[in-house]
Amino acid sequence: MNDASYSLTMFSPPATLDEVHELLSAVWEKSPHVSAENQMRFETALIELVSNVFRHADTGDGVACALNIDISDMHIEAQLSDTGEPGDFKLMHATMPDELSESGRGIALIQALMDEFTFENQGEHNIWRILRRFTPEEAE
Amino acid sequence: MNIAVETSTEGIVIFRLTGKLNMVYAPTLRQEITEQISTGHNKIVIDMSGVDFMDSSGLGALINGLKGARQAGGDLRLAAPVEQVKLVLKLTNLDRVIKTYSSAEKAFSES
Repeated sequence: MNDASYSLTMFSPPATLDEVHELLSAVWEKSPHVSAENQMRFETALIELVSNVFRHADTGDGVACALNIDISDMHIEAQLSDTGEPGDFKLMHATMPDELSESGRGIALIQALMDEFTFENQGEHNIWRILRRFTPEEAE
Repeated sequence: MNIAVETSTEGIVIFRLTGKLNMVYAPTLRQEITEQISTGHNKIVIDMSGVDFMDSSGLGALINGLKGARQAGGDLRLAAPVEQVKLVLKLTNLDRVIKTYSSAEKAFSES
């Protein structure tokens, strides 16, 4: 059994991502069954997600986020709940912008990195969820 | 993230970065590259060997520099990216736009 759960509460400003990286370092140390490729994909997707929330969900009073990470033999999953502005947010069919565009890649990048990526608004909270499934070899 | 800038005798500017190139540090890099281009340097190399993580904001700073350098008649090239940076370049198709070399010294040696 490789089940484990982690949680972290963050506030922005200041927008710092160091604590997310630090938490993941600890996660990878305790879960060596997660391959280097999946570690890389998950960390990249999660940082994009947290950055996106910090950047777009701050209505002036700052934003608080609760992050939960769950690992099993089969997958790794993160759920991020923020207090930002209720988003009229559409995740469907995000596409990469023009090659020379300087922004607008975050959502499409998360979709390319993860097996599942969902968003829903529940009252005062936006709930974001990303999930990466392990290959059968990794899940053994 | 740390940014060290050096200029070669041929006028090529090499940015040697260390740390994580994310939304916190991307604006600083963008500004430093713009400054170099505005002072007449149009050949820019970003030595990525010390960058262990880059997000789409970091990528945006590189694209901004690439456009500025090309508009000035030069180019912006990458040296020695780690696997995570290569993955981001590949999934965003920027590996087709930004030229990558094994070391900073090789980036403009064959142009």
